[in-house]
Amino acid sequence: MEGVTDSLNAEAVEALAAGEPQWLAERRRHAWSVYERTPLPTTRLEEWRYTDLRRKLKLDRLERLEWAPRSFDPASAPARLRATMEEDQEASGHLVEVDGTVVHVDLQDELAAKGVILMSLREAVSAHPELLETHLATEALPAEQGKFQALNAALWNDGIFLYVPRGVRLEHPVRVSRWVSEAGKALFSRTLIVADEASQVSFVDEVLSDDLDQQTLVSSGVEVIARPAAQVQYVSLQRLGRGAFSLIQQRTLAEKDSTLDTLNVSLGASVTRLDLNAQLRGSGANSDMLGLYFGDGDQHFDHNTSQDHVAPHAKSDLLYKGSLDEKARAVFRGIIKVHKGAQQTDAYQTNRNLLLSETARADSLPNLEIEADDVRCSHGATVGQLDQESLFYLMSRGMTRAVAERLVVIGFLGEVLSRLPLGGVSEKVTRIIRERLHG
Amino acid sequence: MSDSPILSIRNLEAKVAEEDIHILRGVDLTLNRGEIHAIMGPNGSGKSTLSKILAGHPGYEPTGGEVLYKGEDLLEQEPDERSRNGVFFAFQYPVEIPGVSIANFLRTAMQARLEEGEELDLFDFQDQLMEAMELLEMDHSFAERSVNDGFSGGEKKRNEILQMAMLKPSLAIMDETDSGLDIDALQTVAKGVNTLAEQNPEMTILIITHYQRLLRYIQPDFVHVMVGGRIVQSGGPEVAEQLEAKGYENYKAATV
Repeated sequence: MEGVTDSLNAEAVEALAAGEPQWLAERRRHAWSVYERTPLPTTRLEEWRYTDLRRKLKLDRLERLEWAPRSFDPASAPARLRATMEEDQEASGHLVEVDGTVVHVDLQDELAAKGVILMSLREAVSAHPELLETHLATEALPAEQGKFQALNAALWNDGIFLYVPRGVRLEHPVRVSRWVSEAGKALFSRTLIVADEASQVSFVDEVLSDDLDQQTLVSSGVEVIARPAAQVQYVSLQRLGRGAFSLIQQRTLAEKDSTLDTLNVSLGASVTRLDLNAQLRGSGANSDMLGLYFGDGDQHFDHNTSQDHVAPHAKSDLLYKGSLDEKARAVFRGIIKVHKGAQQTDAYQTNRNLLLSETARADSLPNLEIEADDVRCSHGATVGQLDQESLFYLMSRGMTRAVAERLVVIGFLGEVLSRLPLGGVSEKVTRIIRERLHG
Repeated sequence: MSDSPILSIRNLEAKVAEEDIHILRGVDLTLNRGEIHAIMGPNGSGKSTLSKILAGHPGYEPTGGEVLYKGEDLLEQEPDERSRNGVFFAFQYPVEIPGVSIANFLRTAMQARLEEGEELDLFDFQDQLMEAMELLEMDHSFAERSVNDGFSGGEKKRNEILQMAMLKPSLAIMDETDSGLDIDALQTVAKGVNTLAEQNPEMTILIITHYQRLLRYIQPDFVHVMVGGRIVQSGGPEVAEQLEAKGYENYKAATV
């Protein structure tokens, strides 16, 4: 029963389950039983080889952050949260979560009239029981996916539910801001996105905090389902302060002829662990999987991806790029898995790292597992230093070394952002990195 | 002031950085404002090393002598300072900078020339860029391509001259600009350089080349021959013609 603590235990599950519908209470209990019987990963497991969880995550010191009704006044919101809300005006809808409680939701009237649902996951349990019972922790991110998928499914407090009905297309992104301020806590948030047939939606989930003086676990369970011919873009922008342990478990399901693209940007937190399993489950499905990380100090990133081709004639194209300064460290581990029937699969995987200091380190472990014989797959990985000849070239045009370095790094990472040009995301990420490179 | 040479090289010696390979063995050269000079020499003569030393390339290290640029010690200056002070170095092998568009690159380079707090006028910049691109017969879409990324040899060299046109140097050093160019590209590049020289009569140009062919299109005032890390002969354009006819054999024999 590894990982069961004074605060994270069966009683906590029961406290959440009390007053919830039977199906949900049972789903939590089931998830908890999976969590209990799954051992905590050790570095002996290939998937955790470079992230020593027992050293990096002190579960027994964390206190579960409980849901509590909170009043919210945007005018007195923390500066960083306010800044990001003000920047993200152009949107189909907004949702704001503060310390695990959704405090604000708005959605354009015309979209609501068309049946689009954007609401707190907690409220959706009673407002849309049938949709939730069908989709929550079932198809996409059931507890069986892993230890932390189970923990999130058992202990989620609140989160986001987005449903886009058949044929409805959202012109602007749905923007979520999640703010964390309580240090020393464990926070479990869950996102469920269902895009019905031939609908279109883009979604930006930004999680942020100031620096936290005690380790704080921010667990995000994300399930995204694109029904046939739906087009979905999901962006996660992680801007947590130092002290945070960002644990993100995502699963995306792309059905027939759908497009389901993801962009994961990891900029903050002391430790980031991201598990993304993208399943191509219908023929003609297409997933672009993009990732960008930038680290300094002693930040640690561990991105673990899986391109899971179940159906034939589907395509996935992964590009993760990161740049690391000072003593930051990154691990990328990706697998392309092509199942027996998935003929005519196109699957590509690229991870590139640019190190800005002698003490930064990146490990890249791409992998292929192919059971079909008529496929096109490739993978590649590089870890390189800042090229002195490039810097000299830029300096010979009058740029200082600092400006030259910034231009090279932003150019290097920009390739990722240009592949998913979604309202303001690229500009925001570029600006943040530019500011950090000033220091 | 304008009577004093823009560049004055005295007994310059240099070697490969961190290695005991000495290349320049006492170079003397004086360039006055508005002049076009060419340095010719066989492979390994040190002509490219000289140009890189002038640009401040970290791969080479001066070990003796001095270089005065506009009366000041050039070798003390960082590469970016030299550029801001008006020295331009056209690379023999321009470097690829993926993800950075030519427009962004040039904007950043021109912003670097302004005082702290001063902002580049983007309309002016755009006008200048379009004008320079037309001079070099470049399509406007070129500005949005990543610097040298996937460029042909000719495109890379034209991009160097585009930068020269935008940065308007006092001293332009062109390192083997003719290498890898076909005749059409060579003519376009030469036309660009000649137009810039006409527009900026004070601009001084130092051409480094192995062959005489570029000098048919860009007429030098002075030609110097470099062999074994020294200038062994200086004269007018006729020196280049003699070299074309006789090659470097005589010089090599003379230095042994």
